[in-house]
Amino acid sequence: MLSPKRTKYRKRQRGSLSGKAGRGNTISFGDFGLVATENKWITNRQIEAARIAMTRYMKRGGKVWIRLFPDMPYTKKPAETRMGKGKGAPEYWVAVVKAGTVMFEIAGVPRSVAHEALRLAAHKLPIKARFAARRTME
Amino acid sequence: MERKTLTTTKRTDFRKGVNRRLRKEGKIPAVIYGHTEPRAIALDELEFNRKFHYMSENMIITLKTEDRDYDVLIKDYQEDVLTERIMHIDFFAIDEKSELSARVPIHIEGSAAGVREGGILETYLYELDIQCLPKDLPDNISVDISPLEIGDSIHVSDLEVPEGVKLLHEDEQVLIHVSHQRIEEEEVEEEELEEGLEGEEGLEGEEVEGEEEEEA
Repeated sequence: MLSPKRTKYRKRQRGSLSGKAGRGNTISFGDFGLVATENKWITNRQIEAARIAMTRYMKRGGKVWIRLFPDMPYTKKPAETRMGKGKGAPEYWVAVVKAGTVMFEIAGVPRSVAHEALRLAAHKLPIKARFAARRTME
Repeated sequence: MERKTLTTTKRTDFRKGVNRRLRKEGKIPAVIYGHTEPRAIALDELEFNRKFHYMSENMIITLKTEDRDYDVLIKDYQEDVLTERIMHIDFFAIDEKSELSARVPIHIEGSAAGVREGGILETYLYELDIQCLPKDLPDNISVDISPLEIGDSIHVSDLEVPEGVKLLHEDEQVLIHVSHQRIEEEEVEEEELEEGLEGEEGLEGEEVEGEEEEEA
């Protein structure tokens, strides 16, 4: 699963999740992509599940690019703990996804296969997403 | 290529509120610059979408304004990342006698022999930067990929470009490559998952050093 090799600080402030993606919002590598239409955190497990769903459907052929990286630690307090006593321990990693982000890209397969693979991948994610193709390909 | 025509209206107020109102009315704010004085215009969105299903920098368009016609290229455009609605277009007014730089799409012909044997077709460049006179501007540059076996590539130097067109790429640059299929085994995936879980547990230990440094 994707996670940073080393980090400068163990925990991070949550930040805001407003606005649209100002970068990473164009299909840059492949022919087709999956674009987020909501703002949300996506965990490394969800990214891995989506990748597996895609590659299993495509079987042989095609290339996949993951344009997300879960670089934000998600902390959690243990169960049945009283409030206070500091921030919880890092539990897993999340990627901050804003609406318009191209999350996955696919190349080397027909449009119908790419569409189905990305549809299956979208079902593994906690957000609404849409299929997109390069403008020159339409 | 058939030259398309668009009718435009003059835009005098450039503030964002005015442009938002224009978009609500179904217009696209645009600007013309290049071999002419810069001029702010507005287009009809419906007419534009009906005539252009895709955008490419190699289409010469005739823009009709109140006083004169402009021959232009689409130099740039902004679109809404969610709705894919065009927000603004930059038109570059061309001069028939001077050379221009443009981007021309690559048209892939045939299917590679290597792909039929199980390889993956990887496209590294979708458009080519060229320099030519407006009259020589090609619709696209065709590449025949049928002889490509697994491991073969097509470079910029292999392209046949029309006369009068100069490619602005290095000869060694790879356009298309047929690579070997990477077979993903189910077992490997499961192993990876297990490793990932272990990695997560080791995460806190890994970062203790960082914390100590922080405190120091």
